[in-house]
Formats: sequence, C-alpha cells, structure tokens
Amino acid sequence: MVDKDTLKEMLFLNDLPEPVFDKIAGLATIETYDAGTAMFYRNQKLTHLFMLVSGKIHLNFESAAGKFLILDKVYPGRTFGISALMTDTSSAFSASCAEKSTIISIPGDQMKKLFEQDFKIGHILMLKVVKLLKSRMEMHTRQFLLSLSMHPEIKQL
Amino acid sequence: MVKIEDLKRINLLKNVPGHLLEILAKEARLSIFGEGTQLITVNEPIDTFYMLIMGQVAIKKEITPDIDVILDYIQSGSSFDTSAFIRDSTAFYTAVCLEPCEVITLSGERMLELFEKNHELAYYMMLDVSNQYKRYMDKRSQMILKTLQQNPDVEEDIYDSWISGVR
Repeated sequence: MVDKDTLKEMLFLNDLPEPVFDKIAGLATIETYDAGTAMFYRNQKLTHLFMLVSGKIHLNFESAAGKFLILDKVYPGRTFGISALMTDTSSAFSASCAEKSTIISIPGDQMKKLFEQDFKIGHILMLKVVKLLKSRMEMHTRQFLLSLSMHPEIKQL
Repeated sequence: MVKIEDLKRINLLKNVPGHLLEILAKEARLSIFGEGTQLITVNEPIDTFYMLIMGQVAIKKEITPDIDVILDYIQSGSSFDTSAFIRDSTAFYTAVCLEPCEVITLSGERMLELFEKNHELAYYMMLDVSNQYKRYMDKRSQMILKTLQQNPDVEEDIYDSWISGVR
C-alpha cells in the first residue's frame, strides 16, 4: 500500500480521478534500494511498472566490449519499466539505481486488469505510455543518428 | 469505407476486437499513391495514419544536409504514422513511396473524436500503438549497439554526450 499523495506526485498518474488513486494505492508497494541495485536486466520479462520517488535510475545496456552504455536517466516523478503494461513485456535495456533510490512498484497484470475494467482510465494511461515511448523512441533515434554521424566512414563522406 | 478483411491484414490491428474493427472500417479510406509520393514531411503537422496494403515506403531522416538515413522500409501489413493519434503532433521523419502503394488511411482528427466517445476503441488502439513504438524503440537500441560496437571511442554516457550534442 502506498500513500495516495505520493502517487499523485508521479507524472504518469497525475490528472486521474480520485477513486482510481484508491485502486492503484492498494496495488502498489514502495521500497528503498541501494546504489548499484539492478531493477531489471535487458531482455527480462517485466512483471512490474516502476515510479521513482527519490534517487536516480540509469537505463543502460552492455556493449560486446563489456562497456555499460547509459541510454537514459530517470529522475524523481518519472516512470520506467512500462513494458510491463504491454503485450511483449521484455525490456530492451537494463535499469539500475545510480544512487540510493526509493521506488514504487505496481504489478503490470493488475494494472492491465484495471484498464480492461475501466477503458476510460485505460485510454488515459495508455495514451501517456504512447507519449512516453514516442519521446524515448525519438531520443534513441537521435542518439543513433548522432552515433552514426560520428562514425569514421560517415565522417569521410 | 474499407472491408474488415483488409484491416485484419494490418499488424497493428491484430488485437483489436471485431466490433471495433467495424467502426474503423467505416472511417477508413483506400488510396493509391504513385512512386516517389512524399506522404509525410519531417516537422510538418501529422493528420493521417497510414496502413500499407501493397507496395513499399521508406522512412528517412537527414543526418547532414547531404546525407539521408533510411531508418525503416515499411512493407505490406505495416503502418505509420501513429503520431496522428496524438494531438498537435508533428512528423519526426519523412515517408516516401518507393513504388506504387495501396494504402488505407484514417483521419487523425476523426480518430481523436471517436476516442473521446469510445474509450474501449481508444484503449485497444493505444495498446497496439504502444506495442509498435516499443518494437521501434527496441530496434533503435539494436541499431545504436551495432553502430557503437564498430566505434571503440564511444562515450559510455550516451545520454550526456547526446544532451551536450543537441545543445
């Protein structure tokens, strides 16, 4: 159980009707993790959606050379692990605590049930998921184009 | 109006229940575009969602004034640009027909009106759109990894180097 006021500070959940917070508060749990804790790994099937109350999360993946490459940073109020709400729940990257972090966890299957019981809520929240994914996809595309433009063979053109 | 059987050929609509496909079928239009037709222009407002029945479309973006990168080839059964379902969206890329294309279109504005009236339709469409964005995002991650593996001087903090790169 998580305090409703804490949930209301999460960008993903703001603007929802009051009764929905009661339902989500009953599903959610909150926990504090040490720096370096892995929340999930690349290709892992995600069972939970996460919201960062305090601290910082790095979304990263490991290159073939063994380097951990940071693709994105998550700050308080933001959501990560949204694959838990989708049909394919596997994650394209890993997530780890860059510092001591307090995180809300909500089971993805329970959220999906809630959406199917109340399509209006499902619509509002899935639209937020779409906007979040669109923004991340565009950022990753720009990162890809930047990495490509720095490639020695492209520089020669 | 298009046939429901045609909509069933579209990957994005695979999970949409039959009674909702009937609503979409009434709103959809079938069009044919010639080779070289630019369906979407980068940074222009997006007002149409496209579903490809036949043909091939290139999704491209400029990295320098002289170099365009083709990010995807859209084939039969695939769709673009779902940004039409987000109010006031502008195009992130340019889309060009590489050959004559048979395309089903949906008006973004009309769909947004329908979503306000029918939340079940809106939910299933948003669920499938998010699945599509996730597939694209996963693909981009793979593309970044492949490019970076060939460039050993890459910064470990791609996020910060990207942020400083766009400033």
